[in-house]
Amino acid sequence: MLKKGLILAILIGFSLMFIPLIQNFHGNDKLSDLAKYYTENAEHGAGAANIVTAIVITYRGLDTLGEVVILFLTASVIGFFLKISKSEKDETLRFSKLRKTSELLETATKALVPTIFMFGVYIFINGHLTPGGGFQGGAVIATGFVLMLLANPQFKVNHKVIEYIESLSGFSFAILGALGAIIGLGFLDNKILPLGTFGELLSAGIIPVIYSFIGLKVGAELSGIVETLSENQSEIEI
Amino acid sequence: MSYFSLEYIAMITGFLLIVLGIWAILTYKNLLKIVIGFSLFDTGINIIIVSIAYVKNSTAPIIDSAVSLKDAVNKIADPVPQALVLTSIVIGLGVTALMLAYVLKLYQDKKTLDIESFTDLKW
Amino acid sequence: MISPIHIISISLGVAFAIGFLGKNSNKLSAVIMLLTIGILTFISAQWAQAFYFGNQETVQIFTAGYKPPFSINLQIGVSESIIILLINSIGLLGGIYLFDTLVKTGKNAVVVYLIFIMSLNQVVLTQDIFNLFVFLEIQSIATAGLIVLERNRNSISSGFKYMIATGIISSLLLIGIVFGYYFTGSLNIADFIQANMMLSKGGAVALFLILASLLLELKPFPANGWALDVYESIKPGTSAMLSAASASAVLFALYKVLPAGNPQTFEIVLGFGLITFVGSNLLGIKQTNPQRLLGYSSVGQIGLIVAILGMKPFLGEKFTFIAIAIFISHFLAKAGLFWLSGIIKADNIRDWANLRKKPFLLVLFGTFVFTLIGFPPFPSFFGKWELIMQLSQSGYWYLVGVILLGSFFEGIYLFKWLGYAIKLDNVNLPEFNINWKKIIPVAIVGVLTYLAGYYSSFFTTGTEHFEKFFVPLFFIAILYFLDFLPNFVKNIIAIAGMSYYGYILLPGLYETDLLRFIFGAIFIVGGVLTLIAGFTYKGQRKGFHPAALMMFAGLGGIIQASNMIEFFFSWEMMTLGSYILIIRGKKSMPHGLSYMLFSLAGAYLILAAFGFTFSQNGISLEALKGLAFAPNLIYGLLAVGFMTKTASLGLHIWLPGAHAEAESDVSPMVSAILLKAGVFGLIILFLSMGAEAAGQNSILYLLGWLGAITALVGNTAASFQEDAKKLLAYSSIGQLGYILFAFSIMTHLGWLAGFTYSINHFLFKAVLFLAIGAVVLRLKTHNMYEMGGLIKRMPFAFIAVLIGIITLSGVPPLSGFAGKWLFYNAVIEKGWYFQGTIVFFAGTIAFLYSFRLIHSIFLGQLKDNHRTVKDISIWFIIPIYTLIIGIMIFSARPDLILKPIGNFLMPYFPTDALSWTDTMAKTRLGYWDGTWVMIIIGIMFSLIFAWLFILSRKATKVEQFNIAYSGERPERPETTHMAHNIYAGFNKAVGFIVTPNISKFWASASENLDGAAGYFRRIYNGNGQTYALHIIIYTLAMYLMIF
Repeated sequence: MLKKGLILAILIGFSLMFIPLIQNFHGNDKLSDLAKYYTENAEHGAGAANIVTAIVITYRGLDTLGEVVILFLTASVIGFFLKISKSEKDETLRFSKLRKTSELLETATKALVPTIFMFGVYIFINGHLTPGGGFQGGAVIATGFVLMLLANPQFKVNHKVIEYIESLSGFSFAILGALGAIIGLGFLDNKILPLGTFGELLSAGIIPVIYSFIGLKVGAELSGIVETLSENQSEIEI
Repeated sequence: MSYFSLEYIAMITGFLLIVLGIWAILTYKNLLKIVIGFSLFDTGINIIIVSIAYVKNSTAPIIDSAVSLKDAVNKIADPVPQALVLTSIVIGLGVTALMLAYVLKLYQDKKTLDIESFTDLKW
Repeated sequence: MISPIHIISISLGVAFAIGFLGKNSNKLSAVIMLLTIGILTFISAQWAQAFYFGNQETVQIFTAGYKPPFSINLQIGVSESIIILLINSIGLLGGIYLFDTLVKTGKNAVVVYLIFIMSLNQVVLTQDIFNLFVFLEIQSIATAGLIVLERNRNSISSGFKYMIATGIISSLLLIGIVFGYYFTGSLNIADFIQANMMLSKGGAVALFLILASLLLELKPFPANGWALDVYESIKPGTSAMLSAASASAVLFALYKVLPAGNPQTFEIVLGFGLITFVGSNLLGIKQTNPQRLLGYSSVGQIGLIVAILGMKPFLGEKFTFIAIAIFISHFLAKAGLFWLSGIIKADNIRDWANLRKKPFLLVLFGTFVFTLIGFPPFPSFFGKWELIMQLSQSGYWYLVGVILLGSFFEGIYLFKWLGYAIKLDNVNLPEFNINWKKIIPVAIVGVLTYLAGYYSSFFTTGTEHFEKFFVPLFFIAILYFLDFLPNFVKNIIAIAGMSYYGYILLPGLYETDLLRFIFGAIFIVGGVLTLIAGFTYKGQRKGFHPAALMMFAGLGGIIQASNMIEFFFSWEMMTLGSYILIIRGKKSMPHGLSYMLFSLAGAYLILAAFGFTFSQNGISLEALKGLAFAPNLIYGLLAVGFMTKTASLGLHIWLPGAHAEAESDVSPMVSAILLKAGVFGLIILFLSMGAEAAGQNSILYLLGWLGAITALVGNTAASFQEDAKKLLAYSSIGQLGYILFAFSIMTHLGWLAGFTYSINHFLFKAVLFLAIGAVVLRLKTHNMYEMGGLIKRMPFAFIAVLIGIITLSGVPPLSGFAGKWLFYNAVIEKGWYFQGTIVFFAGTIAFLYSFRLIHSIFLGQLKDNHRTVKDISIWFIIPIYTLIIGIMIFSARPDLILKPIGNFLMPYFPTDALSWTDTMAKTRLGYWDGTWVMIIIGIMFSLIFAWLFILSRKATKVEQFNIAYSGERPERPETTHMAHNIYAGFNKAVGFIVTPNISKFWASASENLDGAAGYFRRIYNGNGQTYALHIIIYTLAMYLMIF
C-alpha cells in the first residue's frame, strides 16, 4: 500500500510536467505554414485530393516506409519467436479441445468475407481521394481473415502465399521509392507516373500504386501475425 | 479562449489516458494488464496528436465536393499531425503485438502472468 | 557515388525480397544479407573517403523532390559518414559472428538483423525529428527481435523488460515531438534548432522530453536496469551490436538534436553523463558475470561520451577528435570483448582463466582491456589525454577529477578480470571450441584498435616527434610475432635490439644531459644485463620478451621525452609492460592487481597535474617550472603520482608481493631498474620546483619526513621476513626511502647523495636479486629457513651476496659508504637532524637483514636435500659479476661519476660544498678518498682473512645431526631452525611500527568500495516494473532539476 502511495505521488509529480504543455497550448486558429504549403500545392504538388495521403505517401513517404518496415519486422520477429516445431503442430492434438463453432457463424463468414476483402481493397485503392488508405484497407482485409479463423479454427492460410504477397508488395514499394531517386527528383517522388486529373481515381502519380502495395502488405502481415499467435494459442491450451 | 473547447477536452483526456496508462504499467502485476497500460498510453498520445491537428471550425483535409481547392486553406484541419498519428498508431500496433508474443512465451515458461516472478536477473 | 538514400532502398529491397526465397534457403539468405551489408559498408566507405581525401562538401538529400521542411531530408557530412561506416562495418563483422545463429533461427532472423543495421544508418542520416523517432522505433523492435535469438527464460524476460522501458521512453519522445511541431511549426531538426524552443515554457518542456528520452535510450545510471539484464542474458553477438552499433546511432541522434537547447542544456547533459560514468563503473566492481560486467562498463563508457557531447561548447576544435577517439575505443573494444565472451562461454570472470589455452585470444583480450582503460598506444589514450588537457585549459579542473575517478573504478574491475584470465589458479578449465567465424571478427577488431591508436596520435597536441616512440613498439610487435621461436633466439634478438637502442641513445646524452644519461644507463645497461639472465630458461618462454621490452621501451621513452605527452605515453607503456612482467610470476595475481591499481591511480594523478600545467604553460616538460597558479596542488599530485612507483610509505603495499613473487630475472628488473623511473620523475619534479623553493616549500619538508619514515619502516619490515625475496623487496622500500629523503634535501650535497644512492641501489639490488633469484631457481623455495650452508655448494652466489650486502649496508670500502658519507654531510649541512637520526637508525636496522641473507642462506648446516645442488647458472653469474665490477669501479673511483654530476648540478645548486682533489672529496666537515679507503680496507681484510684461515684449521667440525629433539617431533620443524624468526625479541620491542596498518587501511578502503557497490546495485531488483519506475523517477528528477 505504501508503495502504491509512493508511486501515486511520483505519478502526480510526473503529470505536473505536462502542465506547461497544456498551458502553452492555445489551439489553432489557422494552419501552420507547413500545412498551408501542402494545401496550396495540393493539386500541382503531389496531386492527391486527400492531403493526408499526399503527406503520408510522398512528402513523408520515408516515415511510411518505416511504418511498413515496423509491421514487417513485427511479423518476422513473431514468426521466428513463436515458431513451433513440427511435432507441436500435430493437428489432432491441436484442436482436440476446441469447441466447434456455430453454423450461423460459419455461414455468415462465407457470405461476409468476400465483401470484407472487397471493402478493404476499395479503401486502399481510393486512399488518395477519400479517408482511408493502405493501412486501413489492409487492416480491414485482416479482419476478414480473423473472421475466417473464428469460424473455422482449423482453417490454415497458406503461409507461402502470404509470404509471397508480403515480399512482392514490399519489394515493389522499395523499388518504386528508389526509382523516384534515380529517374525522378528524389526518393519516393510520386511524379514518375503522370499526375492525371486531380480528384480522379487514376491520379496522383504512384500514390495509389504504393498504397495498394501497402494495403496488400499490411493485410498479409496482419493475417500472418494473427495466424502465428493463434497457432501458439492452441499450443498453450493443450 | 475557453478550456472547454473541443481541442482542450481532447488534449486533457489524452493526458489523463497517458497517466492512467503509466499507472497501469507501474502498479498492475499482470503482464497482460501492463500491455493494456501501454495501449492506453499510446491511445492517449494519439488523441493528443489529433487535438493538436484541430483548427477551429474546420473539416477533414480532403479536397472534395465539400471543400474546394481555393478555400481549402481556411477550411481544413492541419494534415501533418494526422499523417503522424497514422504512423504512431501503426507503431503502437507493432509494439503491442510483439509484447503479446513475449507475454505468450513468458506464460509458457512459468505458467504465470505475474511480473514479479520474472526477476531471475538482477543486480 | 551512390546516394545514401539507397542504403535504405537496397537493404529494404533485399529484406523484402528474401521472402521470395524458398523454404530451405536460410544459409543463402544469410549470405545475401552479408553481401548487402557489405554493399552498405562500401557506400559509406566511399563517402567517408570522399570527405576525407577529396574536398567533398556536406550533402543534403531531399526525398520526394521537395525541400525541407516540406519533406524529409537526409544529410551526409564528415561525422555522418564516419559513424555509418563504423556501424556498417561492425554490422558486417557482427553478421559474420552471428552467422550460424542467424542461419539456425531462419530467414526471418536474417531479415531482422539486416533491418536493424539499416535503421541505425537512417537514425544517423535523417534530419527530420519524426523520421528519427520512426527509425528509433524500428531499431528497438529489431532489438527486441534480436534479443530472442537466445531463447531462454532470462533472455525472454529481459526482452520484455526492454520493451517496457523503451515503450515508455519512445512514448515520451513522441509527446515531445508533437508538441515540438506545435510550437515550431516544423518537424525538421534544423528548424527546431533555429526556432529557440526555450522561449516558452511549453516549448522548453517539449524539447526537454525529446532530449531526456534520447538520453534515456542511452541507459543513464541509475535508470538502466533493463539494459543490464539485456546485456547479460542475450547472445554476446547481439550484446556487441547493442553496445557498439546501437549506442553510436543514438549518441549521434542526441548530438544532432542537442544544439536545439541552450548552454545550460549542454551542462545538464554533461552532468548526467558523468553521473552515469562514475556510478555505473562503481557498481561494475561487484560484478562477476562477464556479460553483465561488460554491460556496466558499456553504460559507463557511453555516459562518458554523453558527457563529452555536453562539453562541446568549451572543448573547442578538439571536440571532434576527443569524442571520436574515446568513442571508437569503446566501440571496438566493447564489440571485441562481447564477442570474446561468446567464444569463452563462461558465466564467471574467474573461469576466463581458460583463455590461457589460446594465447592469441588472451592477447586480444588484454588489448581490449587496455583500450578501454586508455593505455597507449590505443586511441582512448590520446582521446583521454586531449580531453584532460582541454578540460583543464577551460578551467574545469573538478571535471578532470571526476572523470579520472570514474576511469579508476573501471580499471578496478577490468584489471581484476584480466588478472583472473592471465593468472588465476584454476584446476578445471572448461574446454571451448574455436570457430573461425567467431575468431575473425575479434581479430579484425583487435588489429583495428592498434591502427586507430596509431592514427589518433596524429591529432594530438605535442606528438610531432612520436616516431621515436613508435619505432620500438614496432620492434616489439615483430618480436611478438616471433613468439613461437625458442627463448634463446628471442633473447638474442631482444638483447641486440636493446643494445642498439642504447647505442644510439646514450652516447649523445652524456654530453648534453647527464641526468638523463645516468638514468638511461641504469635503464638500458641494466636491462641488457638482466636480460642475459633470461638465457637460463628453456623452451619458448612465451610472452616474456615483448613485455620486458615494452617496459624498457617505456623507460627509454621517459628519458627521451621532451614534452608531457611523450613522458606520459612512455610512462604508461612502462606500466603496461611491467604489469605483464610482474603478473607472470607464480601466485602473483593479487599483487599484479594491486601494482596495477596503484600505478593507475598514480598515472591519473600525474595526468591531472600535467593537465593543470598545460592550462598555464603549455605542453613542454619545461612548463612545470614557474607555475603561476596552484603550484602546490600540481607538485603535490606529481609527487604522490611518482611515489606510487617509488613505493613510498603508504603507497608501498603492492611492492613486496609484486617483487617477491616475480620470476627470478624479473625481480631485479622491477626492483633495481623500474623503481628508478619513479626517482627520475621525482627529480624532474624537484628540478622544476627549483632550488630557491627549497627553503620554504612544505611539500619538500613533508617528503623528507616521508622518506625517513619509509626507510625506517621498510628496513624494519625487511628484517622480519622469512622469505628471502620479500626481504629484498622490503629492503627496496627502505632504500627508496633514503633516496627520496636525499633528494628532498634539495642541496648540492643532498643531490649528490641521492644520485649515489640511486646508482648504488641499482647495482647492489640487481646483484642481490639476481643472486638470490638464481638460488631460488635452484632450490625452488623462497624461505630462508629451508636454506642454509650453501656457501659450500654455491660459492659464486655467496660472494655476490656478500659484496651486495656490504654495498647495501654502507660500510667501507664499497660505494655504499660513499653514499652514506655524502648523506651525513648533507643532513648536517641542511640541519634536518631529527629526520637524519631516523635514517641513521634505519641504516642500523639494515645490518640486521643483511646479516640474515648471509647467515641463513649460506652459513650453518646444509640441508639434506641440497647436498647435490649446483651453483647458480652461468647466465646469472655473467650479469652479477659484471655488476660487481661496476660496484668495484664506482667504489674505487667515485669521482669518475660524481665529479660530472657535481658539475651538472652546479647550475641548479651553485655551491662549493664539495670539492675534488684527484680522487679525494672534501667538504666543510671532512674528506674522503674512495681509492685509498679501498686500498686500506683491502689490505686489512686480507690480513685478517689470512689470519683466520690459519686459525680455522684448529676448529672442530660439527656434524649436522649433533642435536636431539628429546624424542619429540616438533610440529613445525622450521621453528627449530635457529634462523627462523631470528629477531623475535626485537620484533616484540619495535615490531609495532610495521604492523600492517597501512595494508589494513587500503584493505578497508577497497572493502568499503566493494560494499558500496554491492549495496547500491540492489536498486536493480530485476523487476521490469521497478525499472519502469526508475525511468519515470529519473525523468521527473531531471525535470525538477531543470525547471
